[in-house]
Amino acid sequence: MIVAKAASLTYHDHGKQVYACRDVDLEVHPGEFLGILGPSGSGKSSLLYLLSGLKIPTHGSVSYDSVNLASLPEDQRSRLRLNEFGFVFQQPYLLGYLTALENVLVAVPGQPLRNEASNLLEKLGLREKSHRLPHELSGGERQRVCVARALLGQPKVVFADEPTAALDHHNGLQVVELLNLNRGEGSLVMVTHDPSMLEKADRIVHLVDGVVSEK
Amino acid sequence: MKARKPLAAATYLLRNARQTIPLTGVIMLAVLLICGIVSLINSIPFSIRTIYSYSKPVLGVAPRGDATQTPNLLKVVKEKAPVPLERLTVARGIGREVTSIVGPWPFSVIGLKQADMKFWLDRQFVSRLDGKLPSPGKPEAVISEPVARNLNLKLGDALLQPDNDKGFSPNTVKIVGIAQTDMWLMLTSYEYVQANHFPDVDIILAFAKTPKEQDTLNRWAEKEFKGQRVQVLAFHQVEDDSDKMFSILYKILNVIIGTLVLVITIMMGMLINIYQSQRLVEFGLLQALGYTRKQLLGRVMRETFSVVILGWIFGVVFAYVLLRITKSLLMDPRAFALNTLDPTAFLYTVPIPLSILVVATLTVVTRFRKFDPISVVERRLV
Repeated sequence: MIVAKAASLTYHDHGKQVYACRDVDLEVHPGEFLGILGPSGSGKSSLLYLLSGLKIPTHGSVSYDSVNLASLPEDQRSRLRLNEFGFVFQQPYLLGYLTALENVLVAVPGQPLRNEASNLLEKLGLREKSHRLPHELSGGERQRVCVARALLGQPKVVFADEPTAALDHHNGLQVVELLNLNRGEGSLVMVTHDPSMLEKADRIVHLVDGVVSEK
Repeated sequence: MKARKPLAAATYLLRNARQTIPLTGVIMLAVLLICGIVSLINSIPFSIRTIYSYSKPVLGVAPRGDATQTPNLLKVVKEKAPVPLERLTVARGIGREVTSIVGPWPFSVIGLKQADMKFWLDRQFVSRLDGKLPSPGKPEAVISEPVARNLNLKLGDALLQPDNDKGFSPNTVKIVGIAQTDMWLMLTSYEYVQANHFPDVDIILAFAKTPKEQDTLNRWAEKEFKGQRVQVLAFHQVEDDSDKMFSILYKILNVIIGTLVLVITIMMGMLINIYQSQRLVEFGLLQALGYTRKQLLGRVMRETFSVVILGWIFGVVFAYVLLRITKSLLMDPRAFALNTLDPTAFLYTVPIPLSILVVATLTVVTRFRKFDPISVVERRLV
């Protein structure tokens, strides 16, 4: 379980302290689909970075399974992300010289998960294209490869940061559906500005100006 | 496309040939260049030592300015030599230029008595004699196969002539024998030189039984006759002289190689920096997914190491091939010496991969120190 207690993230803009997130109290329960909804610039992505350990709060704390992420050295936080979490980013970032299948396998280094990766790609409708390079795939297909990469190894939590931003509505819905269907027992934390993408969410929190305004 | 281990160095290098080939190529060319330059420069002293290597199994002692001293010198060598002598005799010499890698080079046609000539040829590893040995007092000579190649001479040709500036003799001295050996040799009869050439000076030749004893004998003679009107001729003097003669050349060579390594390292550092900049999204993504900086650094270093080692190996192989071609087309026809597997030449290339690895490591470490994966996933860098 992830617990954020009075977590804030500030940055300096022309000498002025600006809050990206302010005093956020939030829990991510095992197996739930948590949606974080908010307009552009509301601090959704920053909150996702805090919850996933990509950023450390400037005030307050974020803990995973009762371990304060700020107390972990950077290498251990990285290993935690690699072993326990899955990520889907706004842009369908893939390594251009790797095939779709190889890009999925990047998520779990050193483990023979080729069959699992192939199965995931099949579930996501990419079986025929698993040996294609990213430039041979459409934007929607690339994001589905990213989804497969995030799901490989059955992570405890999948973080999705506006995964539909670069897709049309139909493809966006499909990606969310695939994420939700294939996450197994893992939690899904998804950030979006589009409420229609969170129809299947167990819980939705609204974020305005870095503050959780409504749960 | 054949599936590979995604983050293995080979996967990146094979699938990014546009980046890999120029890097490998630059290293290969640098190694080829350095190896070639050093081997060719080394071939100069090597050629000179090869030309005079006939003097390895013998000590020469000649009086200076007073030909009557020879019997006294002979007595000193016979009585005081620190090692047992296998043979002690006298010879005479006639000058005959050969062509060395740096131009005309002095050499001697040695006048020997018949018995000494046979002994001498045995000591020079002669496997076969085509023709015959020069008859006593006749204008005849025997030369070795490398000399025949160097001077483009064959049986029946003239080695010395009255009108030959490179090899004068009052009579035309013809080649009556060619000795098959790697040594450079020109021999004629003692009696012919005695009857036709000045100065009227005998050179003492002293042969020890083993190479080690020969060296002891040579060094003893240097000490024994130091400060006297005597010239001592020993092979180690040729080695010492060639070392001194080429020491400045080697200093210049070191500056050239050092500059070359520096320029290539800077060039490679810039290339690697450009290529790493093109991979920032990849590094950012992997770091965001959970790869540690150490893992990413290790991966980049493995890739760099592979490129550098591959370039070095290709460079060494191509250098060897090129040197073999140079040897057979340019050097062998004139019997010039060239070591195509010169260890010094290969050692000179080692700073290239080492310096490139150091520069690549520093470049990548500096980049990763300031690197923020969030800036990549948020597209602030792309």
